[in-house]
Amino acid sequence: MRAYGADLLTYDEHVIACFLVLGAGEDKITVSWGLNRSLPAGADEAYKEVEVRLCYAPASQADRGWRKTDDDLSKDKTCQFGVAVRPYTTTNSTSFEYELSRELPTATYFIRAYVLDFDGKVVAYGQTTDDRKAADLFEVVEISGRSLSLDIAAGCFSTFSVLLLLLFFVADRRKKAKE
Amino acid sequence: MEEQKKPSSLQIESVAASDTKRFKVPVDSEHKATVFWIFSFAAPHMRAFHLSWFSFFCCFVSTFAAPPLLPVIRDNLGLTRNDIGNAGIASVSGAVFARLAMGTACDLVGPRLASASLILVTTPAVYCTSIINSASMFLLARFFTGFSLASFVSCQFWMSSMFSAPKVGSANGVAAGWGNLGGGATQLIMPLVYELIHIAIGSTKFTAWRIAFFIPGVMQTAAGIAVVALGQDLPDGNYQKLQKAGDKHKDSFSKVFHHAVTNYRAWILALTYGYCFGVELTIDNIIAEYFYDRFDVNLRSAGMIAASFGLANIFSRPGGGWFSDLLSERFGMRGRLWGLWAVQSFGGVLCIILGLMDNLAAAIAVMLLFSVFVQAACGLSFGIVPFVSRRSLGLISGMTGGGGNVGAVLTQLIFFTGSRYSTQKGIALMGVMILACTLPTMLIYFPQWGGMLLGPRPDATEEDYYTAEWSQKERDSSYHSASLKFAENSVSERGKGRDSSTTVPVDTTPSHV
Repeated sequence: MRAYGADLLTYDEHVIACFLVLGAGEDKITVSWGLNRSLPAGADEAYKEVEVRLCYAPASQADRGWRKTDDDLSKDKTCQFGVAVRPYTTTNSTSFEYELSRELPTATYFIRAYVLDFDGKVVAYGQTTDDRKAADLFEVVEISGRSLSLDIAAGCFSTFSVLLLLLFFVADRRKKAKE
Repeated sequence: MEEQKKPSSLQIESVAASDTKRFKVPVDSEHKATVFWIFSFAAPHMRAFHLSWFSFFCCFVSTFAAPPLLPVIRDNLGLTRNDIGNAGIASVSGAVFARLAMGTACDLVGPRLASASLILVTTPAVYCTSIINSASMFLLARFFTGFSLASFVSCQFWMSSMFSAPKVGSANGVAAGWGNLGGGATQLIMPLVYELIHIAIGSTKFTAWRIAFFIPGVMQTAAGIAVVALGQDLPDGNYQKLQKAGDKHKDSFSKVFHHAVTNYRAWILALTYGYCFGVELTIDNIIAEYFYDRFDVNLRSAGMIAASFGLANIFSRPGGGWFSDLLSERFGMRGRLWGLWAVQSFGGVLCIILGLMDNLAAAIAVMLLFSVFVQAACGLSFGIVPFVSRRSLGLISGMTGGGGNVGAVLTQLIFFTGSRYSTQKGIALMGVMILACTLPTMLIYFPQWGGMLLGPRPDATEEDYYTAEWSQKERDSSYHSASLKFAENSVSERGKGRDSSTTVPVDTTPSHV
């Protein structure tokens, strides 16, 4: 996890345009990013790397302090999953096909790209949603971790425990009757 | 007529010498052990002790298995802070009534069957925790698993049946302390098992935590089987066998209930226990998060700090029981009462200080000291409970134990839910509440031994106190024989300085000597 030293609030312009294409019902998404063409030339001199991350939308942050957004990037917990880290290039747009991690929880997400300079500090960013984080969000449905074998094992062990108890009850009764 | 009814007990009475040879430890007239040899497994006394503490330990491990794995579980199930808080309250509220029921069950069918049944019947809740997929199922799983904490009552009842008055405080304290240890051990066991499965076997995070829950489940099943297969209710045998032989009269629930709820001492002890054990349960649920948030330690460190609170139980609760017995040797029951009040009140003071600590090292130090005193107070409470009643011992143990859980529910509701109080203010206020709710200890009074502020009545005897729970008709049929024996043996609660070697005068019904 990189240490960010910059305050995100300073950067209130989307300097990077981010686009996202979802595969319907699949586990791959294609993210592309490029410099906002309306900026003056030379704005991107200090840009070295682009770090793309998967971030929680506000709906998935509600009442969950462990996903809280904080203006101090070192304490911010919004973007917990890494997508890609690529060197910054001046081409119109760079894209990356991201295969969703199998350990993502069910939630609403958006993508954010942080641009880092040569010292590793965040100097710019872009995201696939608007400032209020309300548009163009997408949902991921998790892989629950449950399986048929787990269900069967849980059922078997539970029944086994209760059966053993009943067995001992019966054995006790038999012993009592014999005496 | 009595002799025909109880031939076996008469035989035992008349062959006192071969009597003690039957047992591997020294025993008194009720065949309760007069020594407490921790490292022995001698049947039935020490074996009962080990079965008892270990099965209770497993129940604690299961009940608090979820908190250390919450960072993974909350993502898998999409839990909110509200969901987690409610599940935490649910985990300790199930046992409130279960402990009362357990007390009655012990009085009626004996601790062996009562605890084995409870332990085995709650294991499905533990196993099924691995197949849940929503917040409400999480709450239900924690709720039903929490019922198993009622095995505390059978644990204490069993120890009170196996160990004599001078040793019952220590036996109760060690058994319960080593059982409560489970709440700390689980904070280390579960993350370890989870990591083993996640890394060594390669399961995804969301599968690994589910598989991990089979460990507490299997432990609990094994413990329950061991109790029913190897355990024994009383030194002389099991309830069923003794009831059949006429040695043990099968009591009626309504009488047992009446004598428990009309004894004001039981209610006071339920309240004070809510503010030592209840506080311990509350801390088990909130302390890791407190250190994580206030002092910015990482989750693993927070877990280790949380574990150390629970692990202090290995010596602090037993220490309380031992201290109670020590005070009783010199000062009798009055010493036990003063000890409880002083230790628990000091725990309250330390709790207030803990909430005010700003420095991490100081906070940890205060927390450890606080854990020792609050857990010792639990041990001291159960140095007194066995003497409140003989007939309704089980139900009164249940009331006290249930009171502990009520304290946990109330405290979490008032101070640690919603955003009314910050956690540090909540902790400080909890300390004030401990001080207030420990004061009623001053109202407990035993006519034959005295209370904190008043001395004993010169003409009151132990026999009067314990046989008062039986009607004249019941006494005529000698149903109260166990209470009589207990009264004789409890004369030690007079402490030194009073003539504790006088035999209790038998001037009413003739005992079967």
